[in-house]
Order: sequence, then structure tokens, then C-alpha cells
Amino acid sequence: MDFDWTTEQQAFRQSLKDFLAKNLPEDWEKFSEHGPASPALTRFAREFCGKLADNGMLFPHWPKEIGGEGLGPWEQQILAEEMWIAGEPRGGQYMNVNWIGPTLERYGTEEQKAQYLKPITDGATLWCQGFSEPDAGSDLASLRTRAELKDGNYVINGQKIWTSYAGLADTCFLLTRTSNDRKKGITILLVPMDTPGITVRQIPSLIGEGDIHEVFFDDVTVPESARFGEEGQAWEIIAYSLRNERLGIPRFYLARAALDRAVSILKVRGEFSGEIVRAEAARCAAMCEAAKTACYALVQKRVDGLAIGPESSSARYAVVQSERAVCEFVVEYVPEALAGASPYLKMHHQRGIVAGIASGAAEIQLNIIASEVLELPREPR
Amino acid sequence: MDLSLNGDQTQILDFIDSLTKPYAGVPMHDTSFALTSDELDCELVQNGFLDVMAVEELGAVTAALVVEKLARLPVSVESAFSALVRPIIDPELPRPICLVEEGRLTGPVRFLKPGASVVVVGANGVRSFTASAEMIAPAQEDTLYAYPVSFLTGLPNDMRKHDIAADEVLRQWRVALAAEAAGLLGAALDSITTYLSERKQFGRPLATFQALRHRLAETQVATNCVYWMALKAAGTGDPADAAMAALLAQEAAKRVGYDYHQLMGGMGMTLEHPMHLWTYRLKLLTAELGGRGGQALAAADAIWG
Ligand SMILES: Cc1cc2nc3c(=O)[nH]c(=O)nc-3n(C[C@H](O)[C@H](O)[C@H](O)COP(=O)(O)OP(=O)(O)OC[C@H]3O[C@@H](n4cnc5c(N)ncnc54)[C@H](O)[C@@H]3O)c2cc1C
Repeated sequence: MDFDWTTEQQAFRQSLKDFLAKNLPEDWEKFSEHGPASPALTRFAREFCGKLADNGMLFPHWPKEIGGEGLGPWEQQILAEEMWIAGEPRGGQYMNVNWIGPTLERYGTEEQKAQYLKPITDGATLWCQGFSEPDAGSDLASLRTRAELKDGNYVINGQKIWTSYAGLADTCFLLTRTSNDRKKGITILLVPMDTPGITVRQIPSLIGEGDIHEVFFDDVTVPESARFGEEGQAWEIIAYSLRNERLGIPRFYLARAALDRAVSILKVRGEFSGEIVRAEAARCAAMCEAAKTACYALVQKRVDGLAIGPESSSARYAVVQSERAVCEFVVEYVPEALAGASPYLKMHHQRGIVAGIASGAAEIQLNIIASEVLELPREPR
Repeated sequence: MDLSLNGDQTQILDFIDSLTKPYAGVPMHDTSFALTSDELDCELVQNGFLDVMAVEELGAVTAALVVEKLARLPVSVESAFSALVRPIIDPELPRPICLVEEGRLTGPVRFLKPGASVVVVGANGVRSFTASAEMIAPAQEDTLYAYPVSFLTGLPNDMRKHDIAADEVLRQWRVALAAEAAGLLGAALDSITTYLSERKQFGRPLATFQALRHRLAETQVATNCVYWMALKAAGTGDPADAAMAALLAQEAAKRVGYDYHQLMGGMGMTLEHPMHLWTYRLKLLTAELGGRGGQALAAADAIWG
């Protein structure tokens, strides 16, 4: 066991830091107050991701066969950490390189690959993920947005909600219902967002302008060739493609940076000598470090070629707790941060408060730990 | 970065598993508060398991793994200080090793008995002496802790001074505390999981009630975090890592020490069920080194100065 980075890994991280220092604008910190899905950041990301692509830094973790550099899971982790801590200048494009691209490679038709891969590898396109619905959140398999095959076209009717990036996305990775057979009745369609019949409405939120949306589908018609995989194969495909995403965003990394920022503000004000504030800050740091180490144990599994199982829910829950602790610390001790005094801390807060909800609520993680890690007898249904 | 167990580590842990098999079960209806075994202690020493830290290919992480493994047993053996702290003070110090803080001499001392090496850590550096009968006051017969404990009646005038900084010993003490807690937490979690899966009320296992499932799941998260933080702190030798590991260990211990008894109802109040053999070691660990506040302040010092 070795808890240090190799020289190569350190150099890789440094090259990312150098790139960011060179390519982020001077007022980036203020700028990144715009959420990762905001119009401003989306526009910025299109240009920025193009530069990343030119420098081999957009998808270095992809296998060589699909155009990547074949770097390992640790490098993917380092890439995710450095981008996230910088305020995610890739905007929503991180999804492209983390799972949409590799999933297209694996399950897409030749036509779909030809159409969608190049814009991804050029860093020039934005996707959104149309999974959740008003009545299908944690219980995703109960989703109802209907797609009916008529004369070689799918006609889609229904509604999605909480869809990040929908406002500016080019394409939607959409889950639809094609039969009533719960999980086996769900089918993926790749839907261009400019298709007639799609209405996107922003949801005003605590987490930044333009972040989450409702998306309405009224007789939206796409050709049968927009189907991704077979009818009813959606659950299998998303289980596969999100397998490596189970760890989620390296939130502990930004949380720790935000904590350090808060402490330095307190130090300057001479308010970091009391035992209570010091102990509270240390507890936050410990939770971030623990979340990180629990996540790293799973990255190691990927390095060893092992599948990441339900233990990812345990690491995810540790991450949620660390985010919560830091968000609460900042509000309690540096309250002015959320009122404009520190764009960075406000940015962290807005990203941090969703940790226990987005991509699977915290309580659902606890359910998974109980059933699949501890293997407790199941709850009656 | 490499968080896999290497071949040597796997082999050692497997070996300990087979060696400790006879001690893994709890005697039915055992009514003692603490279980100890001189034979097991002897076997561990003879097989060199408490000396792995000094072996170059093994080191502190392996020692922490050994300590974690041994702490899972219902029997308590003095492994944490011997395996993780003794090597940095003096590998020849006679066992058991008892660590005490200079300013905190009134608490119960684990494994203290005549012949034990008592190491005193504090402002006057790191000093040690061999305990003799007249320096020891026994704890009452039915002390609740699941460690053998006694009290020190005072310190001798002439102690042996060791050439190592007190902070270094405190750091490694925290690693030892976290590694031991990790094993105790793991074993207690296994035990409560089994109990709640089997015990039925309202016609179904208690473990099917979500209110209890979530409490167990949360302690699983804490247990996993303590395990990894203990190993990390052993591996990096960083004082911040050590203090954070010990802090999380004490937080988890505090929670588990209440929850697991609570979730067992009346059975949790008995000596019939072995739960106390883990939780009442964890409880004593929560008092060590100034408790959670002590670790948190040490971590803050190490991180932010
Ligand atoms: C910022 C943000 C971005 C998002 N982006 C997207 C996106 O791009 N695409 C997309 O499809 N979705 C997205 N989501 C939706 C997200 O996946 C859902 O919000 C999440 O799955 C929870 O569903 P819900 O909001 O309907 O909450 P609900 O399912 O209504 O849950 C409410 C509460 O009840 C609890 N609960 C629910 N079921 C159980 C149970 N069985 N046991 C115990 N407790 C339970 C939950 O844990 C939660 O605390 C996003 C959400 C957020 C906040």
C-alpha cells in the first residue's frame, strides 16, 4: 500500500494546473460563480474544452483504441479533481468525456458514432441527461415519458424535470417508456434538442441561474435510428455506463479547498484561535479526508480491474457528509461569503448543497448499503 | 498511489486468521467483562506478528492491518502499542506497553500490570519505567471496560528518557488508537448485523425496519472511513492524518457505543451477548488523548498551524 502519488502522477497534475493557470481568465473566480450549467459557463466551456482537446487533456483516460491516451483511473481521478476544484471549467462537458462518449463507442450504431463522437472529442457539444420525471425521482424505474413507434418514427410525449444543461444542450440522452414492463420497458433515445415539440423551462433555484430545467415533450418525433441500443435495453446500458460514474464528482476535493479558504479568511480576521472553531474546522477536514480515502479505495478497484459494487454508496455517503459539514461551517463562521464576499465559497455552497440529492439521494445510498453491503434482509414492499 | 493489499500483507492476515481461529468464538454465557488470553498473546509474539513494522517490506501499514485484525477478536490482546508505537521508542521494551499522558495520570490504564512498560509522554519528553506492584492500584473487580485495566498510583523518580520527540509518539499513538478502533468497529458491526437480521418483532426481522437500517448503514460508512484513515495515517506518517483518523475513530466509537446496545434492546444490557466486548473497549478509547476535542485540536494545529 502506498498513499503517495507517483512522480508521473504528480507531473500530470502539475501539467493540468499549469494549463488551467494559463487558460482561465483573470476574473475566473468571479466568473465561475455562474453555475456549471449557466449560459455563461457553457459558452466559455465550448472554447475551453476545444483547447483541452488540442492539448490532449480532454479525454486522456479513454483507451487508445477510441482515441484517448490510455491513462489509468488514477489519472482520470486527478483530472476530475483539478477541474472540479477550479470550478469545473468544462461545464457540462465533463459528462461527455466521463460516460457519454465511451457509451456511444460501446453501444452506438455506426451512424450514431459518426454523428456524435467527433463533436465530443472536439470539445464542442453539450449533452443533457433526461432521466428524472416529476413522479419518478428516486424511483426512476417508474418513469412514464412515452415513446411510440409509428411508421418508422418514435413519437415522444411526457415530461422530464431537474434536467441539468437542458437549456443549451445540443442532444438529450433520454429515457423513455416503450412498454409497461417496468425496468425492461425503458428505452434510450438520442434526441436533438432543437427537434420541434420540445419546450425547456428553467427552474429558478438556489444553485445558480440556468442549472436545472423542466423539459416537455409534445409529439416530438425522431426517426427509429435515434434509438440507442434495443428497446428495453436502457437499464442495462445505464448500469454499464454509469458504473464508472458511481463514485461521482470528487466533491471532497473542492469542499476541502473551500474549508481552507474559510480558515484563511478567519485567520486574517484573527478569529481562528478559539478552540471551538478550530475543532469544528478540523472535524470538517477529517470528513473530507475520510471521504477522499474511501473513494480512492474504489479507484483502486478500478485500477485492479474489479467492478465497483454497492460499496460506492458508502463512499458517496461519506462525501455527502463532508459537503454538508463544510457548507454548514462556512455559513456559521463566514456568513458574508454567501452574500457576495467570497464568490469561491458561494460557488462551493451552491455545488455542495446538492450533494445529497443529485445523482441519487443520500437515503437511497443508505438503502443500498443496508441491502447490498450489510446484506440485511430486505424491507417488505 | 496503490491501496491494494500486497501479497505479504494478504498472507500475514490469512495466517493470523488461522492462528486466532480458536479465539474467534465467544464462550457461551460468558459473564466476564473482559476476555484475555495469555496463550494467544504468546503465539502472536512467537510468530513475530507484533514486530512487522520494523520489517522493511511490511512497515507501519502492515502493523496497522495486524492491529485491526486482532482487535476484531472478542479477546483483548495488547497489540496496538506493541506493534505500532514500541518500534519507534525502543523495540526491546518489555510488553505489555502502556502509554500515559503526563497531565492525565488518573484514568484507567489498559493492560497495566507488574512488569509492563509504562511510557509517559508529555512536556518532559518521552520517559518510561517498568511497573512494579506497588505503583499499581487495581481497578474494581467488575469494571465495565472490556480491557484489563488498573490505575497508576504515581510515577517513579527515575525514569528512562527516550530520544524521541513527544509529538512523534503522540502521532503514532493516534494511529494505534485508530487502527484498534477500526477492528473493534468492524467486529461490532458484524455482530449487530447478525443480531438484527435474526431477531424478529412484529413478525419480521428487526433489520427490515428502515429506521434501524439507516442507523446501521451510517455506522457502516463511519467504520469504513476509520479503517481507511487508520491505514492512511500509518502509511503517510503525517500528524494531521493521524489526528484526523483518531478523531473519526472516537466519533464513530461514541456513536456505536450507544447505538448498538440500544438496537439490541434488553439483550444489549446483558453479558450474555458479546457486544460489550467490543463496545466497552471502544468506549475506553473515546477517553484517550483528551477525547474528540483533543484530536480535533491536534488536527487543527497540524493542518493550519
Ligand atoms: C442539481 C441537480 C441536478 C440534477 N440533474 C439531473 C439531470 O441532469 N438529469 C436527471 O435526470 N436528473 C437530475 N437530477 C435529479 C436527481 O437525480 C433527483 O433529484 C434525485 O434522484 C432524487 O429524486 P427526487 O428529487 O424526485 O426526490 P424524491 O425521490 O422525491 O425524494 C425526496 C426525499 O425522499 C427520500 N426518499 C425517496 N425514496 C426513499 C426511500 N425508498 N427510502 C427512504 N427515503 C427515500 C429521498 O432520499 C429524499 O430525501 C438533478 C437533481 C439536482 C438536485
